[in-house]
Order: sequence, then structure tokens, then C-alpha cells
Amino acid sequence: MTDRRDFLMKLGFGAGVAGLATQSAASLRSLVPNVSYDAPTTVKLGLPLEFPDGLKFLPDQRLFVFRQGNVFHAVSAVCTHLGCTVRAEALSQPEEKTVNGAPLRLTHRFLCPCHGSTYEGDGANVSGPAPRPLAWYHLEVAPDDGQLVVDLAREVGREFRLTVA
Amino acid sequence: MSTTAKPIPAIPSAPNVHPKALWSLKPRSDRESGDAVVSNFLLHWFPAKVFKASLDWTYSFWLGTITSALFLLLILSGLPLLFLYVPSVERAYASVKDIEYVITFGSWIRSVHRLSAHLMVAAVFLHLVRVFLTGAYKNGTGRGQRRQWNWVIGVGMLLATLFLSFTGYLLPWDQLAYWAVTVGTNIASSIPYVGPAVRELMIGGRTIDQPTLIRFYVLHIVLLPGLLAALFVYHMWRVRKDGGLARADREALMRERVEEPPARTKTYTLLGVARGTAPTIRSTTLEAPHRTVNAVPDLVRRAATAVLGTIAVISILSTLVRSPLEEAANALVTPNPAKAPWYFLWLQEIVTDTTFHIGSFTVNGAFFGGVILPGLLISLLTLWPWLDRSPASATGVWFARTRLRQNAVFLALCLVVVVFTIVGTFCRGPYWHFYWPWESWPEIPTRI
Repeated sequence: MTDRRDFLMKLGFGAGVAGLATQSAASLRSLVPNVSYDAPTTVKLGLPLEFPDGLKFLPDQRLFVFRQGNVFHAVSAVCTHLGCTVRAEALSQPEEKTVNGAPLRLTHRFLCPCHGSTYEGDGANVSGPAPRPLAWYHLEVAPDDGQLVVDLAREVGREFRLTVA
Repeated sequence: MSTTAKPIPAIPSAPNVHPKALWSLKPRSDRESGDAVVSNFLLHWFPAKVFKASLDWTYSFWLGTITSALFLLLILSGLPLLFLYVPSVERAYASVKDIEYVITFGSWIRSVHRLSAHLMVAAVFLHLVRVFLTGAYKNGTGRGQRRQWNWVIGVGMLLATLFLSFTGYLLPWDQLAYWAVTVGTNIASSIPYVGPAVRELMIGGRTIDQPTLIRFYVLHIVLLPGLLAALFVYHMWRVRKDGGLARADREALMRERVEEPPARTKTYTLLGVARGTAPTIRSTTLEAPHRTVNAVPDLVRRAATAVLGTIAVISILSTLVRSPLEEAANALVTPNPAKAPWYFLWLQEIVTDTTFHIGSFTVNGAFFGGVILPGLLISLLTLWPWLDRSPASATGVWFARTRLRQNAVFLALCLVVVVFTIVGTFCRGPYWHFYWPWESWPEIPTRI
């Protein structure tokens, strides 16, 4: 049986609990960011002709850009295991490999300093804890000034090539 | 006004009123000894009498006391650092550099803080090992004891200590810090479905930046120490409620076999038990006076020896050991090798070795070794008191025969952790390749 006194006590207690719960929820919610001030994902990398033949590492984008003549492709330097930046190691003898039906000349391999994952020159994970190959990103030529543009939000298959006219 | 010397009036008999404002560390009677415990705030959580056996250096090695002394030192050395450190990504590194190289006694204070933290991780771990091997989470007498909950609180305190260490070593915002946050939060990110959201909450965005530093800073200076202090207080209270160290249970159990002659005890009257104002407690401490000593001075003296000894060792060590500071955080270059502090190296070793494939399906070692395995270990550790089916006589004794098998399993697990830690510390070189300690590492260019 609930009398008035009991009811009021429960009401007061419940109001206190509800108040505290709301305060806690609001405090926690305030810690979830509503705006992310990330760097833009589409970045101009410079004129294609300024890239050396072979490999260029772009630390700001954590990106390897490969050039072979007028053909370009870009491979991420972020290890798929726990996000360290992998390092490129030049092969003594370049290898030819067919990746996703497209021929590719492998000049380097990639090693991760944190947990020892290794990747082939096309980004395929070969040993260590890495669960996936390194990501390939979309490249294009900016229509306004002809610079190479990478889209870090747009992963592409390993057959992707950008041929600059 | 009367000048004649009157006899001192009789002690007022009102309950909870203690006639003497001061207490002595050299009590001349049991009465004075008890007064110290009852009337002094710092000593109030001590019992009036303790078992001699509980005070043995070789039973507990006083690891809990040493741990709390280290925690005290961490708070004391943390206070000046709070005034000197600036939690901003632009200025954190420079402020730590100033503490290390410019501020008078700065490097000593930082070294005290750092060494205490390192030793605290070790002391907490050894304390846990001691409690396990002595079966001290078991209820020896079973009379209203809940020692298993103190074990659970202890596991919580171990985790709080580890998180404090993690949040602490990334505050200098050097290379170690930056890549530790990267790896640590990516481990959280590897949890299916909720992982990325958890990481975003941890670092306050999608990239490691100012929100990340301030979050870990607040955790380090307010939330985690507060949590640890609260758990510590409750931990101590529970020890009292459960009848002191587990070794006391043995004394109580033995008493039932060996009859003690009745002895006069003064503690009854002191605590008001004789007057009937408190529930009557069958206490072994009162019934076996020759196996007990007064907490003041015996317990106080030993606790003080442990605490002051710890402070002395840390103070001296800190003049000899400098705290390292790596290069300023550089998001562009991962150090090679990038190693966690020693107490996380076994985890780093595990996340390296636990990526596995089932057909075309790949389980990331980050998730299996970084989340699942540690989670299982912690759960097992937490639930162990309920899995332990050994008899009550195995309580409070080193390497009880009835707990032989579980002690062996526990020590084997500890050995795995220790071996992985040693391998991670001494045998891992560039690209996390295995090198024997006497092998030299190959020359590898520092950039790219």
C-alpha cells in the first residue's frame, strides 16, 4: 500500500536520481565531439613532373606516391595493424608482379617499426600481424593548375593507375 | 580561584570521550596504546591489537604498504609538477624539458615521480602475486568475511595503476607518447562495430591533437588518482572488516584446535564492549594475548619503516637515475623500433603474434591480443576466488599443498608475462625483429 508520505518520498528520491542521471548523461555527451577539425581529405600534392621517377614519401599525408614515366599510383603508409607509419626499403632487384590483372613493377617493400609487419611493393601484407594490405588512394590531376590530387577518403583497387598526358 | 592542587578527577565515563588529547608512540600501558588508536585520526583504521604473525616481513613483504607509500610519493611529487607542466600540444614538451633541465630540483622531482610510478606497477604486481600464492583472497574463518571482494577491488586498483601509467607517460608529448597513444587508441579502435566510436571518444576527434592531450591529462591528474584513492580507502577498510591479514584467519583456525588459557584483556573495557554498548565479538586477538602485540607501537613502527624506507630508496635512486625524454612528438616519423614502456611490452609482444586467419577471414592481432586476451586474463583474475575450491585451511599460507595446481598455473601465466616482457625489452630491434641481446642491430637510416 502506498500512502501519501511514501509516494512523496519515492517522488523526491526518483527526482534526485533522474537529476543526477541527466547531469551524468549531459556531462558524458559533452565529451563526444560534434565537429572534427580534421585536415581535408583531398590534398594537392604538386605538379606531376616534380615527382621523381620511382617513389616519393609524403609524411604529411603518410603517403607513398609512385611514378613510372607518366603513370602514377599512391599507396598509404599507415600500417593496417595499429596505425604506425611504415618505412619503405628499396629492393636490390625490382620485381614484376601482376596485381588485379594489371602489371606492376615492384621497387620497394614496406616494414612497420612497431610490430614488424611487412608488405610487398604493391601493399600486400606478407608477414607480421598486419591483417590487410596497405590502402591505395585515388589520384587525379587538378583541372585548374594541373597538380596531382590525392583523395584520402577514396580507396581504390590495386589495378588503379593515373596516366598523366 | 583555588590554588590548591586537587587530585585529577576520574576519567569521565561518557562513551566515545577520550580524556587525553595527545597520544604516545611509546605507550607505557595497554590502555595508552589503545588510546592512540582510538583518539588519533591517522591511526583510527588500525586495530588495537594485531597478530605478531601478521607483522612478519616474510609473510606479506609489506608490498601493499610499499605500494601505498609509492602512491603517496606520486601525489607529493605530482603536486609541484602540476604547477610546472602545461597540458598543451605546443608547450607540453617544452615544459617537461624545462622541468628536466631548467627548474631547480626539477629533474629530481620528475625522477621521483617516474621511478615511483615504475616501481608502483612492479609493487602492485608483486602484491597480487603474494596475495594469490598465500590464498589471501580466501575466507579462512568464514565468519562474515568477504575477502574475495577485496581481491576484486585489488584487480581494479591494478588496472587503475596501469591506466595511470599509460596516461602519465604520454603527457611529455614526445615520440614515445605520440606513438603510444596512436597504438593504444588503435587497439580500442579494432573492436568490431563500436571501436572507431570508442577511439573518437578517447582522443576527442579523429586525429591525435589537443583534445587528446587534455583528456588524458584530466584522467591522469583527477579521475584516475581519485578512483585509486577511493578504492584504496575501501581496500583498507575491507581488510579490517575481514579480520586483518589472511594469516590472522589461520591463527583463528588454530585456536579451535589448541585451547588457549583464558587471559585478562584490557581492550574490552577500552572499546566499551564490556559495558554492553557494542555487539560482543569473539575475537582471537583478545583470546590469545601472547600471540598478539599492540598496534601502537609495533604495527606503527613497521609500517613507518616500510613507508620511510620506500621514500628513502626512491629519493636516493632519483638522484642517480635520470628520466628520459625522447624527441618531440612527430606525427610524420614513427621511431624504429617503437617500444612501449616495459610493463606494456608483453602486450606489444602479444598484439604482434596473434593475428590469425580462418579461411579468408582475418582476425586482427590488435583485437585478439589487445582486447580479447587481456580481457580474458582480467576476467579470469577477477573471478578466481569463486573458481578456487581449495579448503579454508589453505588461507594465509605460502604455497599451500592443497593449492599446488592453481599456484602452478598462476605462476606459469606470470612466467609467460615476464618472459614476453623480457623478450620485448631486450630482444626486439628495428622493425620488431628478434635479436639476441648480444647481437648488434643493423644500421637503419632514421628517416624513411
